[in-house]
Amino acid sequence: MKKYLIIFVFCLLSAGCSNYDELNNLSIVTGVSLDKKDDIYEVSYLIANSPKGQTSSKEGEAKTTVYSGKGKTIPDAAMEIEQKSPKKIYLGHINVVVISEEISKEGFFKTAGWLIRNSETRKKFYLLQAKDEEAKNILKIVSPLESFPSQSIATLLESNHDSKSASTAITYSTFIGHVLEKGYDPILPSISIVGDSKKGSNEENIKTTTPTAYNILGPLAIFRSDKLVGYATIEESQFINLLQNQTDQIKYTLKINNNKISIDSYNISSNTKLKNKNTIDINVKASGTIQNISGNINIKDYNEIKNIENHWNENLKKDLYKIIDRMKNEYECDVFGFGNKIYLKYPRYFEKIEKDWNDKYFKNVKVNIKTNLKIISTGSLQETLKEAKK
Amino acid sequence: MKKIPKKVKDTINIVTNAYGKSPDLNTRIIKINNINVGILFFESSSQTSTISDFIIKSIDFTSQNVFENLFNQIKNYMFNCQVLTIKNLDEFYYYLSSGFTILTVDENEEAIVMETRAQLDRGVTESTSEPVLRGSKDSFTESHSKNLGLIRKRIKDPNLWFEEVKVGRRTETRISIGFINGIANKETVKQIKEKLQKIDIDGIIESGNLRDYLTNKPSTFPQFLSTERPDIVCNSMLNGKIAILVENTPFVLIIPTVFIDFLHTSEDQTQKWINITFTRILKVFAFLITLFTPAIYVAITTIDQNVIPDKLLISLAIQREGVPFPTAFEIILLGIIFEIIREGDVRSPSNMSAAMSIVGALVLGQAAVDAGIVSPITVIITAITSICSMIFTDIDFTNGIRAWRFIFIIAASFLGLTGILAASLILLIKLASTENFGTSYLAPLAPFNLEDQKDSILRFPTTKILKRPSYTTKKNKTKQRRQK
Repeated sequence: MKKYLIIFVFCLLSAGCSNYDELNNLSIVTGVSLDKKDDIYEVSYLIANSPKGQTSSKEGEAKTTVYSGKGKTIPDAAMEIEQKSPKKIYLGHINVVVISEEISKEGFFKTAGWLIRNSETRKKFYLLQAKDEEAKNILKIVSPLESFPSQSIATLLESNHDSKSASTAITYSTFIGHVLEKGYDPILPSISIVGDSKKGSNEENIKTTTPTAYNILGPLAIFRSDKLVGYATIEESQFINLLQNQTDQIKYTLKINNNKISIDSYNISSNTKLKNKNTIDINVKASGTIQNISGNINIKDYNEIKNIENHWNENLKKDLYKIIDRMKNEYECDVFGFGNKIYLKYPRYFEKIEKDWNDKYFKNVKVNIKTNLKIISTGSLQETLKEAKK
Repeated sequence: MKKIPKKVKDTINIVTNAYGKSPDLNTRIIKINNINVGILFFESSSQTSTISDFIIKSIDFTSQNVFENLFNQIKNYMFNCQVLTIKNLDEFYYYLSSGFTILTVDENEEAIVMETRAQLDRGVTESTSEPVLRGSKDSFTESHSKNLGLIRKRIKDPNLWFEEVKVGRRTETRISIGFINGIANKETVKQIKEKLQKIDIDGIIESGNLRDYLTNKPSTFPQFLSTERPDIVCNSMLNGKIAILVENTPFVLIIPTVFIDFLHTSEDQTQKWINITFTRILKVFAFLITLFTPAIYVAITTIDQNVIPDKLLISLAIQREGVPFPTAFEIILLGIIFEIIREGDVRSPSNMSAAMSIVGALVLGQAAVDAGIVSPITVIITAITSICSMIFTDIDFTNGIRAWRFIFIIAASFLGLTGILAASLILLIKLASTENFGTSYLAPLAPFNLEDQKDSILRFPTTKILKRPSYTTKKNKTKQRRQK
């Protein structure tokens, strides 16, 4: 009898935060957007299990419902949605959270705590910055390829993070972690709408072969602490990702004597090391494949390949210096985490200079970049097509 | 102890009255040299042609010249292979009912018993409850001697011993405890015998009646393998197990039985070992699926929604749209309906089962979903669960799983995954603490024995299995010698 009693007590102790809820009494929220206009917050929930969805795959109905609520604080706004929704709002399966520029400009920490405190949420959802657009509109765009918008944004992010490197996938908790870390300024992927956002939320949008409106991932949003300061360009976003060692693959185009050479690099990695309190060494390694050559270069010739390699090394180095300079002087944002490196090695020293890090010390950090880029393959063609014609 | 009267007429009177002047009791008196010889037999349970062909003829042959005591002369010249003498009226009734013919002679307090039993059983047929694709096709029947013969012809060692106990005041059922002397644990045989001898009941009709006398603790899982296949019995006996054969029963009980035995079949011996290993792993999965699926479904859809992937959750939520009942109720309802259909299907004659399955499939599968009473996923879960439970041949085992499945569903509906964990702990404690005749039910997994793993969940090639299971036999462990 004793053992059964122990099991019973164990049950009571490990009940956790779950509660009894029938699935059909839940509104499953998969996307959240936060907007602000004139001191009024607006929260929108993307609810995925609207009963309309049952037949949607056949008839092309919009599967999702977006409810918005306004209030002086975020919880007030959320409360308004609960009054609108006939079913219980369930936040356990949030996929993406989109925040508007107003929110991030005034400082995201003012509103970030709300989702973290909620015991239902999983904290593993992606955080995105809405660029030039209200955040709620982004949730509304229906995609012809995915069943509901939040899913389409999430897969878009994941595939971008894996292959193309212009954007990056950052979860809510990593972002907050980055803000809290010393000597680190976070970045966020940005997202905007191409086309008419009103038409994009209509189900007609997915009936046509070319959708009138769709979501597109923009360049990285640069934050200083929890405040948005600006955006990098798409190209710069690649290099920021590279310097953070967050990417495997970068597409790069060289120009040698009016010939455009596109190189796709695999296994690209960067290694940031602290040399001393004021010097950072960065090693970049990659192996590349030639994708296309617009002009006439004899790539059978080993020296030509060497030449391309040298150009590639130099150009990339230049670009990397440029982006570091821009971050140093224009944004004053240490997105590469140089400060963090110093903090980890010389914590006392960094604590002293922490206040002036972004304004003063970061600008004076010396960065040495070494690149070791090699072209290992010219693809399935051994010479350019023009060469072959001769 | 009542004695047999000296006068033949008295004897016949007593016996016919004892049987209430039953019409199938035949009596006949033959006079030889003025001495009465009485013949008694039941025409219903004995073979009358044998009696007239051999017994009457041999009496006739004897009577032509009597040169010694008539009783002894009849006994000695009887044309029958099984001739006994008895002094006791109780034995008299036992043999008479069993189909033997009894001869009494005036002035003798003894009677001669001759075997003339009729063949009141079917022949040796293919097993219906445990069919195999590859393996011997014979199965036990209701005839006790045939059953013993099916074992004897497989194991020719004189050490194949049968100890007999008669149980039941009225039925006097013969129960044979079969084992191989030198391998089986003698202590266990003794214990079984003692337990059987203690039984004081009017009748034992089937081997299943004995189960409750041989187990100590109540448990939903069966503690005995009951099989109608002689090859399983022989294999078990060679591994040091003990078989209990009950007269008039084609099902033989095997002691000790462990949990893992229910995952094994007789085909494990006849098919390729590597495929058998795969089959056994499948069976373990089937066991887990049939036990846990409905409970896990209830837990993750009503309490722990956090653990489901997004897309699955949404598809589940959309399927549940408009279903009136709570999930746990829906699952239990459908489960109970399925069990009723299964029970009905087993009991009904085969020509009715087609109608049953059509109604079951259409009503359960199609109409209930179309009407929006149950969600399609519930039907899928019930189907998976029931199909997986069919993989086990032992009906008691399947029913044991069924009982726990409902316990799990109830636990899950209150406490979610925590409830399932707690119920699994209770199940494990229950199974591990079950013991029959000194063998732990979870052996050889707990207590763990590495050597025994060659034939538990995995199966090694027969050439590699050198030892008998350690939990059945203490001495004589070597099953085969390593080849040189």
